[in-house]
Amino acid sequence: MKADLEVRLIHDGVKWIAYHQQFEACGQTMAELDEDLTRCLLDRQLFPQNTHVTVFMIFDYHCIPTWIRQYAYHYFNRYIRLNLKSPTLEV
Amino acid sequence: MNEMNNKWYSGMARTEDWWAVWLGLIMFLASIGSLWGLDLTGWMAKPGTWVWGEFSLEAMLKPSSKPDWHPMLSWLVTYLVFTILTCLAAWAMKFDLKRFFAGWSILFVMTWIIWIIGQEAHFKASVHEFDKFGLSWGLSLGSGFSYLLALLIGLIIGNFFKGTAEFLSEAAKPEWFIKTAIVFLGIKIGVMSIEAAGFITELVMTGVAATFVAYMLFWPIVYALGRRVFHLSRDASAVLSSGISICGVSAAIATAGAIRARPVLPVVVSILVVIFAMFELIILPGLYTAIAPDQPIVNGSALGLTVKTDGADAAAGAMLDELMRANAAANLGVVWKEGWILMASLTTKIWIDMFIGVWAFVLALVWVYKVERQPGQSKVGLMEIWHRFPKFVLGYLLVWFSYITIASTGSDTAETLHQAAAAVEGPMRNMMFMLTFLSIGVITDFSKLKGMGKLTLLYAIALFGIIAPIAYGVAWIFHRGMMPPTL
Repeated sequence: MKADLEVRLIHDGVKWIAYHQQFEACGQTMAELDEDLTRCLLDRQLFPQNTHVTVFMIFDYHCIPTWIRQYAYHYFNRYIRLNLKSPTLEV
Repeated sequence: MNEMNNKWYSGMARTEDWWAVWLGLIMFLASIGSLWGLDLTGWMAKPGTWVWGEFSLEAMLKPSSKPDWHPMLSWLVTYLVFTILTCLAAWAMKFDLKRFFAGWSILFVMTWIIWIIGQEAHFKASVHEFDKFGLSWGLSLGSGFSYLLALLIGLIIGNFFKGTAEFLSEAAKPEWFIKTAIVFLGIKIGVMSIEAAGFITELVMTGVAATFVAYMLFWPIVYALGRRVFHLSRDASAVLSSGISICGVSAAIATAGAIRARPVLPVVVSILVVIFAMFELIILPGLYTAIAPDQPIVNGSALGLTVKTDGADAAAGAMLDELMRANAAANLGVVWKEGWILMASLTTKIWIDMFIGVWAFVLALVWVYKVERQPGQSKVGLMEIWHRFPKFVLGYLLVWFSYITIASTGSDTAETLHQAAAAVEGPMRNMMFMLTFLSIGVITDFSKLKGMGKLTLLYAIALFGIIAPIAYGVAWIFHRGMMPPTL
């Protein structure tokens, strides 16, 4: 699946945070994160308004304790399709 | 430092799972060198059975197939080869290299000292060997005593010398060591497949049934128990159910990721899994040997279904193999071949492991469509299945099928390969098992159970009240009467 934008996703113990060179979006739930991400993209004007943007969120396993990595080294990655005007759509 | 899996090849150089494959394949390829006259594995040291009061370095330690080498030279080369390889892996995985080197060296030396002590005839020799070693008494535990001693010393360090345990934790990686050993075991199952194809086929087929039981029977029961009796949230119940029912830490992480749970949840469950796996490892091999000494394959398979994490399962399987064979030699008058009970345990477990990615994928779909019901969510990436697939299984299968393919080309080739691979499948694999026993003890801290009352109670009830009895029943149905070959 091709993405228009890639962001690094972590959880700091309280909220999900999506990092990009030009912004940082966060939310306590995935839905809140998606809303904040939409707002960030609109604020920074990285994409034209009223377009759909596919964002690839790649979880950074660095925020899982190191001792667990020998058992499993992947948490999840997530594709989300954002309408820069309307509510969030995930694909 | 980022650790993101955004490509299909992500993690190949920086995870223990992949490094188990590389280490396993390096040693297997080294043994294949024998086909061109190169003895690239004969340097491997191995301990020998010795008798208290008759100290002899030559009896305690010997090279695998270089009889003219001094035992200490063989041991030093073994240390150097494995230190270079593991440090290379540690460097690639961005460990603290100095701490890893120091920790690895300490664990390596301790492992060999414990291993050699455990080979003392009074602990190890079977009743049939008493005359050979001039013994009037003995425990007849086979290599089981070495395993028990390594585990005990590891637990003492992990629970009473926590500073030391913390220092050693950089190198104490039981799951990495056991996954490497399992890739080495690909040779063993290759040999077994040639010796007894029907037996292995039956083990593999019943592995399918075991997988069905773990995912479709254990999981729903434990999930319902968590939700209805312990009133856990959906997320907590799902993650805990996977950890208890399927394959421990890897299942808890995969499930939590699939349902987008906060990472703290699988971390807490993983702590429970690791500590309970230790209870299973300590209790079940002896218990099964006591209650069904004449059902070796039933017991092995039941372990594979019950014990979580590959390290604890393989360790428990190895312990059971030693205890049951020693008991059978002493009380049943039969000497079973080594490794077949362990293989029953591992085959069951590996089957369950393989499907965790698919299970997490299904759970992700269920969560998207049935639980969260967010409009517009329609796809979960198929690549997630690949990222969650246990890669050491690829190494195991590759070695297994390569061994069969090469050995099938002619009897001379088969014999040459068999002799060279014996060092990998024998002492190298056993050394990795010993390192696993010691390391699993070092990283287990029972005090971490404090404050987890409700989850601990649920785990204990589910494991010992539901999973262990059903697993034993299933293993009994499929394997009752199956016996390993005798010597």
